[in-house]
Amino acid sequence: MKLVRPVLLNLITWSLVLLISFPLLWMIVTSLKPQTELFRIPPTWVPETVTFEHYWRLLSETPFLRYFRNSVVLASTTTVFVVGLGTLGAYSLVRFRYRGRETLAMLVLFTYLLPSVVLIIPLYLMMVSLGLSNTLFSLILAHTTFALPYALWLLRSFMEGIPVDLENAALVDGASRMGAFRDVIFPQLLPGIISTALFTFILSWNEYLYALVLVNSDAVSPLTTGVMSMLISAFNIEWSLLMAASVMMSLPLIVVFAFLQSYLTSGFGAGGVKG
Amino acid sequence: MTTLTTDPPRNGLSPLERAYARLGVVLITPTILVFLLVIVYPLLAALYLSVFQIYTPTLQGGFVGADNYIELLTGKAFWSSLRVTIVWTVGTLTLQIVAGVGIALLLHQNIWFRSLARSLVLFPYFLSTVVAVLVWKWLFNDLYGALNQGLMQLGIIDMPLDWLGSMPNAMIGVILVGAWKYFPFVVIAVLARLQTIPENLYEAARIDGAGPIARFWDVTLPQLRSILTVIILLRAIWDFKEFDLLYLLTGGGPVTSTQTLSLLVYQEAFGLNQMGQAAAYSVGMMLVMLVFMVLYIRQTKEKA
Repeated sequence: MKLVRPVLLNLITWSLVLLISFPLLWMIVTSLKPQTELFRIPPTWVPETVTFEHYWRLLSETPFLRYFRNSVVLASTTTVFVVGLGTLGAYSLVRFRYRGRETLAMLVLFTYLLPSVVLIIPLYLMMVSLGLSNTLFSLILAHTTFALPYALWLLRSFMEGIPVDLENAALVDGASRMGAFRDVIFPQLLPGIISTALFTFILSWNEYLYALVLVNSDAVSPLTTGVMSMLISAFNIEWSLLMAASVMMSLPLIVVFAFLQSYLTSGFGAGGVKG
Repeated sequence: MTTLTTDPPRNGLSPLERAYARLGVVLITPTILVFLLVIVYPLLAALYLSVFQIYTPTLQGGFVGADNYIELLTGKAFWSSLRVTIVWTVGTLTLQIVAGVGIALLLHQNIWFRSLARSLVLFPYFLSTVVAVLVWKWLFNDLYGALNQGLMQLGIIDMPLDWLGSMPNAMIGVILVGAWKYFPFVVIAVLARLQTIPENLYEAARIDGAGPIARFWDVTLPQLRSILTVIILLRAIWDFKEFDLLYLLTGGGPVTSTQTLSLLVYQEAFGLNQMGQAAAYSVGMMLVMLVFMVLYIRQTKEKA
């Protein structure tokens, strides 16, 4: 009995975990199968032949690499912009006293919950009248609408976790506020900044609605709309090619998961879900 | 707190305090400017647009007063979409909470390769919705999809099911995919809370003769209550406004059976080209959401 219980528990847990990850497993399996093997009934659960032809075709015959580059530019610029602004803003919100500070903090929280579809129509009109539609810059601005409140909120909680005494000590020693920020706060905040940057990058990397509305030229499409257009425009859908695209599109995420996962979980604690 | 952040006396701020307040304002100014440009202005513009009739391709139109709101209140579109949104939100949220708490309890136990199991469970949450949708569309494929084939091999169904093209399957399908994609959020939040429940509470319950099920109801659940309230509110807000997943999986179809409010706004603005009416729908949607938002903000304030 003492031995049966843990084994049973492991069995149940792991079958559920495998069930949950099955779609992802299936994505990888499908991307490695030759096209002919895809339409076998019943399906081959383990591929009979493993091929990388779809990956090769994806990179050489489709605009995938261009979409990928657009996404990298879009997500990195958004991240740098938003985390830069957010760090200074959060420092101000947490460690300074002035009128309207509380109201501002509540406004940030409110915008953090705001639906994108409310903003999309005016933003679309704004980009058209500024002549910015169909540019990556319009997407960067649009991504700020959800990324900045998010980053501010996250950084604010990280900042609150840093003891005030450290900063006071530096001030007593004659440091200026910004000097204290650079030498005391910033090093302490760094894990929080990394965590926020990762979240922002992933949010921006995965965003679909703004890209759908603001960009309709293939040259500036990020991965989300680009890969979807490969599905819609295809006469007969090549699932293995799409699955290869899905795997490639998830690469940054896989890297983050493999090496930086602790930053993701620490961001969760800060992101407004503290119980 | 300490000297830095205590409230200064109402009158007679020291020069240093005044300088600090100025610096604080300077630091927040860029953020405020960006907020004004990309959030506050568009929000006001949405309100303004909602009393106009605007044809999207030409952006021509005129003032129509409350017409768009009268259409919202008396027409069928808004209310039927609201109903769909509520069905979707309640359905997927319930699954997320049940699966999330269940899996969190299991992953809290001492199982083999626990961190690997946690990573695998977490992954769907961070995945792009586009990827999730592509994978599930392939799984849902009528003829060759793994889901139909698997269920047929197991003998649960004898004919392939049409997953996304007919009702109620389409609604069940999107609710399932939504639950799969978003339940890890619940898992992470609950796991973090579980780790902070003092072991002696369980000891005491055990001494009182409580079995595992009684311990869950009497110790674990009350301890999880506050975090669950926050999770439910937050996820309700996010599920309510979800666009990508539903738009990409079913496009709101068949006909409008899975057309939530977000999709209605998009469809009205960029499918039917009625931008003013769409803005009015989006304002209506936001008013409904405001209830949850206020509840959540109040909850957050209470803890602060």
